[in-house]
Amino acid sequence: MSKLQRLSAEDRDNLVAYLDGELDESGTRRIEGVLGQSSVARTDVEQLARTYDLLDELETPRASENFTERTIASAKLEQIKPSLAQHPWFVFLRRVSPIGGWAIVIMVAAAIGFSITRLAVPQEDDVLLENYPVIKELDVYSETGNYEFLDRLSREQELLDQMSREAHRESQ
Amino acid sequence: MLRVKSGDETAFAQLVLSYQDRLVGLFTNMFRDPVLAEDLAQEVFLRIYRARAGYEPTAKFSTWVFQISHNLAHNSRRSKGRRNETQFRSEDTSSVGSRPKESQIAEKSGLMPVRQLDKEELRERVREALSTLNERQRMAVLLHRFEGMSYADIGDAMELSPQAVKSLLSRARENLRQVLEQYVQ
Repeated sequence: MSKLQRLSAEDRDNLVAYLDGELDESGTRRIEGVLGQSSVARTDVEQLARTYDLLDELETPRASENFTERTIASAKLEQIKPSLAQHPWFVFLRRVSPIGGWAIVIMVAAAIGFSITRLAVPQEDDVLLENYPVIKELDVYSETGNYEFLDRLSREQELLDQMSREAHRESQ
Repeated sequence: MLRVKSGDETAFAQLVLSYQDRLVGLFTNMFRDPVLAEDLAQEVFLRIYRARAGYEPTAKFSTWVFQISHNLAHNSRRSKGRRNETQFRSEDTSSVGSRPKESQIAEKSGLMPVRQLDKEELRERVREALSTLNERQRMAVLLHRFEGMSYADIGDAMELSPQAVKSLLSRARENLRQVLEQYVQ
């Protein structure tokens, strides 16, 4: 069992915070009480502190000699030619593009739907125009009471025309 | 930064000079890649420069700098992680690759007491130990140790509560202690 497992998770966190001087007064007193009573906790604190000191072994890399000049030159270049994303119109376009995109999709869908409906579904006006000769003489046909005859008659355009002409003549 | 905001180019140069080594050091210790570190550090300064017009001194300037650095490191880490996936896999197939990194570090110098270790070798052990931490732990440790930032400031830079930073640093240091145990006996 590791030594630290004998302390609660909160105590472990507080040990590190104690080392870093991040505990408030009551927290500090509590940890100092724990350290006073527990040699395990004291060993842990010492090891944690020494481990952290080992980080000083890491090198401290420095920026290359021309880093400053390169960075300032890049910044100036941006000032002369601001990036596309910095332009107000680009920001505006980016903001409205989702709405605009959906609007275009909806409009295209509506146009396609309208065209399909117009081409595939016959219009009532078209049917009326097509059957105008029969409708015109509907009263006459109804008097006969024979709808089968009417149906066949409606397909005989020539006969209908003739009947129409005769009816017209008679009425005169 | 207020001078930079008002268009003072000299102030921007001074700002770069005062932060460049700190940022390059931070990114180098994060990624162990000096070229990437300089690229990221430069990008931090360019972001600051781009945002100068809208800058308001509502928080510590250094916290804002390290907040940008943390975001850049996080995004870079994600893309770098994808690139390195294949490399890690190939390492796994080597004779020692399948074992935990901590055991490899310990093994490499298992017969050597710390005093006999060459300075550079010890440095390498510490670097490797640091690389066993996850990205957030590593960033928190570096900001705390080398920038001397408080838990509250680290929390602001990394968008965490001070309590979360406390736990993060505690876990990080416990991990480091386990990996470097033989050097601190």
